[in-house]
Amino acid sequence: MKSVVTTVIASADAAGRFPSTSDLESVQGSIQRAAARLEAAEKLAGNIDAVAREAYDACIKKYPYLNNAGEANSTDTFKAKCHRDIKHYMRLIQYCLVVGGTGPLDEWGIAGGREVYRALNLPTAPYVEALSFARNRGCAPRDMSPQALTEYNALLDYVINSLS
Amino acid sequence: MLDAFSRAVVTADASTSCVSDLSNLKAYIASGNRRLDAVNAIASNASCMVSDAVAGMICENQGLIQAGGNCYPNRRMAACLRDAEIVLRYVTYALLAGDASVLDDRCLNGLKETYAALGVPTTSTVRAVQIMKAQAAAHIADNPSEARAGARLRKMGTPVVEDRCASLVAEASSYFDRVIAALS
Repeated sequence: MKSVVTTVIASADAAGRFPSTSDLESVQGSIQRAAARLEAAEKLAGNIDAVAREAYDACIKKYPYLNNAGEANSTDTFKAKCHRDIKHYMRLIQYCLVVGGTGPLDEWGIAGGREVYRALNLPTAPYVEALSFARNRGCAPRDMSPQALTEYNALLDYVINSLS
Repeated sequence: MLDAFSRAVVTADASTSCVSDLSNLKAYIASGNRRLDAVNAIASNASCMVSDAVAGMICENQGLIQAGGNCYPNRRMAACLRDAEIVLRYVTYALLAGDASVLDDRCLNGLKETYAALGVPTTSTVRAVQIMKAQAAAHIADNPSEARAGARLRKMGTPVVEDRCASLVAEASSYFDRVIAALS
């Protein structure tokens, strides 16, 4: 799993040397931002159901055709799966906030996502809409501190970019 | 390879839940500078630690450097020093990551079998690792005493924290214990 610390260790190991001062500086930089990231992760973990539900509702509201027979949100099973997918993205974002890099999203969310959505004939526009809603929904300091919100929004932007 | 953070994520992902217990990670961050200082203390003194550990091992077992011993001739002594440095390096990585996976995956996996095939004596190797464990603890705690150093007492730095980084000493010791357990 890629993070600042593992990247530093991997490069030091490839060169067969002990962690150098500049390696430790890199880790120090990551640690300095970590408090804000963990705050966002904590808040997101506590509210992930509500966040995912709101985002899901927003995308169905924008694309009501998804409720038509044969579309991706037509039956109760499909609705549950759509909601689960949004929650899945939010969970991966929480992981990224913990790790301090985009490793979990890259490895478990984005890699192969395009192929899966094509195979299942799913539109990506609703996903983008749901995540954009979440992107603009967060408010500092109501939900979390400004720095934490910046970290959280940056990851939402990252997923939106990967889907669009 | 995992660090303390990705370990938490991988564990949470196994049950498709969010990472809920962040207390360990907050502790890692709160003591982040201490950890970096500990890593720096070992990395800066690595070559001294390695040569002292191997020298200590040989002092206790002179047979190693006599004909037929495993540190005779120089070529094998050099291999021994190199291996001690490699072990210490991976322990340092583990201490930096806050997780033993890098040590397990890249150093200890198959090490016992390799040493058995090469005829390297386990007891001597373990002794050298034990010496390095004591050295690492001393460097991290950085609390030399008159009783041990005598006239050569030389205090470096000032006492920053009262507990002398006891948790990091324990963590580093646990990684050395892991090496010892993997070898024996």
